Amino acid sequence: MIPINYYIALSAILFTIGALGVLVRRNPLIIFMSIELMLNAANLAIVAFTRVYQILEGQIFVFFVMTVAAAEVAVGLALIVAIFRTKHSINIDEMNNLKG
Amino acid sequence: MTPDLIAFFVLALIAIAAALGMLLGRNVVYSALFLVLNFGTVAVFYILLDAPFIALTQVSVYAGAIMVLFLFVIMLLGTETLPVSKALPWQRPLAFVLALILAGEAGYLLFFRKVTSGTIPQPVQTFGSPQAVGQALFNQYLLPFEVTSVLLLIAMVGAIVLTIKEKGGQGK
Amino acid sequence: MFTSTTFLSILPETLILILGVILLIVEPFWKVKDPSSGGDEQRRNAGWLTAGGLFAVLVISVLVGRPGDPTSTFGSSIRFDWLGFFFKMLFIFGAGITALLLMDHEKVGRRGEAYMLLLASTIGMCLMASAADLITLYLAIETTSIPLYVLAGFMLTDEHSTEAGFKYLLFGAMTSAIMLYGFSLLYGFTGTTNLYALADAFKSGQLAAPVMFGLIVLIVVGLGFKVSVVPFHFWAPDVYEGAPTPVSGFLSTASKAAGFAVIARLFLVVFHDVAVDWAAVFAILSAVTMTVGNLLALPQKNLKRMLAYSSIAHAGYAMIGIVAVSKLGITSVVFYLLAYIVTNLAAFGIVMTVGRVTGSDEYDAYRGLSRRSPWLALVMLAAFLSLAGMPPFGGFIAKVLVFAAGIQANYIWLVVIGILNSIVGLYYYLNVLKYVYLFRMEKEDEEAHPIAVTRPYAIALVVLVLGIILLGTVFAPWFGFSNAAAMNLF
Repeated sequence: MIPINYYIALSAILFTIGALGVLVRRNPLIIFMSIELMLNAANLAIVAFTRVYQILEGQIFVFFVMTVAAAEVAVGLALIVAIFRTKHSINIDEMNNLKG
Repeated sequence: MTPDLIAFFVLALIAIAAALGMLLGRNVVYSALFLVLNFGTVAVFYILLDAPFIALTQVSVYAGAIMVLFLFVIMLLGTETLPVSKALPWQRPLAFVLALILAGEAGYLLFFRKVTSGTIPQPVQTFGSPQAVGQALFNQYLLPFEVTSVLLLIAMVGAIVLTIKEKGGQGK
Repeated sequence: MFTSTTFLSILPETLILILGVILLIVEPFWKVKDPSSGGDEQRRNAGWLTAGGLFAVLVISVLVGRPGDPTSTFGSSIRFDWLGFFFKMLFIFGAGITALLLMDHEKVGRRGEAYMLLLASTIGMCLMASAADLITLYLAIETTSIPLYVLAGFMLTDEHSTEAGFKYLLFGAMTSAIMLYGFSLLYGFTGTTNLYALADAFKSGQLAAPVMFGLIVLIVVGLGFKVSVVPFHFWAPDVYEGAPTPVSGFLSTASKAAGFAVIARLFLVVFHDVAVDWAAVFAILSAVTMTVGNLLALPQKNLKRMLAYSSIAHAGYAMIGIVAVSKLGITSVVFYLLAYIVTNLAAFGIVMTVGRVTGSDEYDAYRGLSRRSPWLALVMLAAFLSLAGMPPFGGFIAKVLVFAAGIQANYIWLVVIGILNSIVGLYYYLNVLKYVYLFRMEKEDEEAHPIAVTRPYAIALVVLVLGIILLGTVFAPWFGFSNAAAMNLF
């Protein structure tokens, strides 16, 4: 049996890589993929904890997170396509019509 | 070192390498494929963690549906290679602080918590089976389950609204 | 398992869902084939149905669906109490007004899907206010956000709008992922996802303070985004400016209030007994938020951007009530949000009305408004003075309450900062009114350029102004409701 905290450590590493991707990369598609990686890391942690407590709650939680991720991706990619149609480019650096 | 530990480390290395490949890739298609690989290895972890139902969902929803959607969009837009990126000035410190907090929490979990270290009893045979998950889903978690139906409906409506071609001003 | 209480606890959500389904089915039949044949009224039917339906839901819920003693329903995923109920009514009211404001928006108001998205988002908010389980809470937050991402990017022909939608989505998805990691650790430390069980777990077994602090930071990232407190406010001005105006109004009011409802329940129930002094963290956040919001609002020349920064500042004021961690504190937060929703919706209603005619949101477009449309100018006067916290309007009582709660909890320095900030706020709100009342249109006769107010706007603005004045004068009943809501947390 693999100790659970190995899984938690792995999930923390994956989550950090995802967070770095969001904050450092500028390509909207990669940023979006990084967010998926973050969700995935959180899911891994939850499933690992579920194994510890042996209550199904956690697995249900993960199931719902996946549903949310699917909905979010559908809407997000639709937005990328919509932006692309109006601008014919999806580099976030060119999103300078709105200044932060 | 026991065989399952070796398996774990090999898989963990693949997962981390795939994640880094996604992060550092210059080509979006490669990034997407690396992410599929990462999702696949995580699915194997789910099986090791006695969550077969979640593992299957992971493969069919994440690797199957979500990543295919990504690849579709990449191909639709034809932006396989994108210019080198620049980070905004405030992002790096923020990323650093966040990484620090996460490392701290993970370290605490690794070394100081009784719950997560030490041996855990093997769960009953049916733990995490589709039947058990389904029963929990339709009893205790009925309301959240119904909410997901609303969520998926509006995701559908939203995606259609955003990608429909408008003809002549605001009409349909 | 199912009793009448079970169904009453989700009555508003169910009714809104039914309304949404009816809307989706009926709306295609109302489409007018030839737009030139004056089918305008017909195409607005979707808006009337939504607004009317939402007010009907409000009335039915108040008549039938009032909670008794706090109970948990649906396998403890939902808490049925006054706090949730009061917030639900606020969201439904806000959504109803937003539907009215959407109706004459050229690019959004004629499409039934926009109202469907608005309704779905309202369902999410209602669940946010009553969620008693991390799973329900996470789902509710996402159900609120995802339709709003679409609504913000709804104007496909306008690149500002689609970019606003995407920016909002990126920030929203990222902060909610961080919050989800926080949730997963909460579950990992305690083995439960139920908020009330979590509270019990933290009462007995204390976690080390630094760990708890890290956990709270992760969760505050997600909620801070929703209420736009300062380190997480980057998205707000851009999104408010790019999104359709009524949607910006909805984002800055109902969506923010939903965030506060979650903060109140999460921190006063779950984190009530933890070793970390999170109130001090919130005090600093509140002070920084007020100051940064107000200072950045000062140099703005675009009314929508100014309102965005002012709404950041208002999140700071409302947070003083959370910092107080007392009955009066929560009462004041609830009352503050009530007054703020009514007032800010009125402000955005005016931006919508004027922007529709002049096509601009710059201050210059408001020159001579008092001569062009005296009544509209009066509404604007009431709304902006209420935002600035002047008697006899609702904003005044609300500010007095939060400051009183702050003093009672011995956060004198925070209240002083709050008062100083109110003075800064007064300056830029009056600055706008200067354009309305003192400046004239150049070389034009203002009376020849009246601003047409269509019927839905007239209804919305009249209701809101009455609300602003009512909240500021006959405030006892509203205070009573807020107090009843706050009692459920102690």
